Amino acid sequence: MTDNASAELLQRLECQWCQSMNEAGALTCRSCGAPLDVKNLVSESGWREAPRLKDMTEIQFGQSTCQVEGEIVPVAEINLGAGDSVFFEHHVLLWKDDATRMSVLPLTGGVKRALAGMPFVISVAHGPGRVAFSRDATGELVVLPLHPGMELDVREHAFLLSSHTIAYTFVRIKGLRNILFGGQGMFMDRFVTTSAPGLLLLHGYGNVFERVLKPGESILVEPGAFLYKDSGVTMDVETIKLTSGLFGGTGMNLARMTGPGRVGIQSMYVHHATE
Amino acid sequence: MNETPSSSAASAGAPPLRSYTCPWCGLASQGTDLSCRACGATVDVRAIVTRSGWAELPGRKDMAKLQFGHSSCQIEGTYVPVADMNLAREDSVYFAHHVLLWKDPQVAVTAMPLKGAWKRLMAGMPLIMTQAQGPGHIAFSRDAPGELIALPLQPGQTIDVREHLFMVATGAVTYDWSQSGIWFSTREGNETETHYPMGMFLDRFTSPQVPGLLLLHAAGNVFVRHLAEGQTILVKPTAFLFKDTTVRMQLHVERPAGTWRSWRSWGDRYLWLRLWGPGRVAIQSAFEPLEDNGRTIVSHSGATEHQW
Repeated sequence: MTDNASAELLQRLECQWCQSMNEAGALTCRSCGAPLDVKNLVSESGWREAPRLKDMTEIQFGQSTCQVEGEIVPVAEINLGAGDSVFFEHHVLLWKDDATRMSVLPLTGGVKRALAGMPFVISVAHGPGRVAFSRDATGELVVLPLHPGMELDVREHAFLLSSHTIAYTFVRIKGLRNILFGGQGMFMDRFVTTSAPGLLLLHGYGNVFERVLKPGESILVEPGAFLYKDSGVTMDVETIKLTSGLFGGTGMNLARMTGPGRVGIQSMYVHHATE
Repeated sequence: MNETPSSSAASAGAPPLRSYTCPWCGLASQGTDLSCRACGATVDVRAIVTRSGWAELPGRKDMAKLQFGHSSCQIEGTYVPVADMNLAREDSVYFAHHVLLWKDPQVAVTAMPLKGAWKRLMAGMPLIMTQAQGPGHIAFSRDAPGELIALPLQPGQTIDVREHLFMVATGAVTYDWSQSGIWFSTREGNETETHYPMGMFLDRFTSPQVPGLLLLHAAGNVFVRHLAEGQTILVKPTAFLFKDTTVRMQLHVERPAGTWRSWRSWGDRYLWLRLWGPGRVAIQSAFEPLEDNGRTIVSHSGATEHQW
């Protein structure tokens, strides 16, 4: 390899988490904040730890920046540029500048959402101005820059904020209704990008791990641990019967995730009662 | 350490074998790995001991790997660590079913019946343990930020663990449980209530024949100390984690002087768990509030008392 070619390669650093290209010498990825100078932590079984974001890491999106503050219950502080906005569920708002303008994201299916216990109102914060978000338990911020043409399904209430370039909708998971809402059905947030990229921030409880499933490859996951997946990954609930011979037995529900695509899980989860 | 270097190594002038003893689990090794194969503790990091004598659970590198039988376990994450087991065909583990995080589809999960099901049901303990047989991967985690404690059990070694802390054990480890024997009753009017400040039951794990591995999950940080023969220490009952079977325990009640007190009853009081050596005791730093309604204690298990 010539010196020039080497130099060219060195000038561009690909982030292993979000595949964005970064300038030579960058310590953290501009798009997702992942440290570029730390080795990926991948378990032998193929789960990759979400990058541990350094305190005060800055992430760029559109005309805005996001600074990640703290490590135990991290805060995402957004400095919105003029013309940029982010949307979020109201319970994650930590503080905002007095001048930061707010509005409500128009949604369809409000009654269905209300019946499913999902937030009826998604709020929007408009730049210029600052606004900050955090959740209610120890965990990790998962920064997912969405490239154009991506569809991501996220566990409800797990999304912290999303940039305005991402379209938000929700889908019903039929297979999980028995576990999660006792027959009332369950909705999952779906984030879709069209032509423009966007930034999506989630908060996972405990530690967050991601695995890429090959086409047809399956993994069984505790349903409470599911955090996000590419929309191409299917999710079906299976019940494993457990009998002790004394009480007729009980069942354990597990979600079968089948590739192709990414699956994200959180290590601290709400355990759903068995049947 | 009593083991002597092998004669061939000594004669060849090579460094003596088994030169490193893990400060947490006592495994002797050459110390060339990054972490202890039995418990995952980082090798050659100075043990952190407080001036009062409590040793912190040794740090563990993310992705540290433990060996047991023909299988291995990788500890992943730091806030709510995951125990990711790669089970060999001949190995099995058992666990309370609510700690299962994920598994390979081919790993068979079945129920393991336990004795005393009715009493366990009454006490709110899991009725059945679940067991998984290799080959394949299966992973476990619990529901609070804290530490994953690896307790390698040598043949014949037994350990007493507070209920609900157990996460997973290897198939060779036997599980038994008994009444904790620590309780007090309060009364208001005609209503009498019995409280079990460290739980109604105590789990007991033994590895009778071969080395076994026991994994516990504690909330917050974990500290351990060795009590000498006759040495005693008072700990918050809900902070208690585990102890050697040689350590005895009893209630201890303290009350400030000058408060009203009738015969055999306490108004304001502090409830402690008194532990007597010899042996190892461990506590967790994040503990549940003591179930204590502040009512008059009318009876209790054996206790010492002190008035300030």
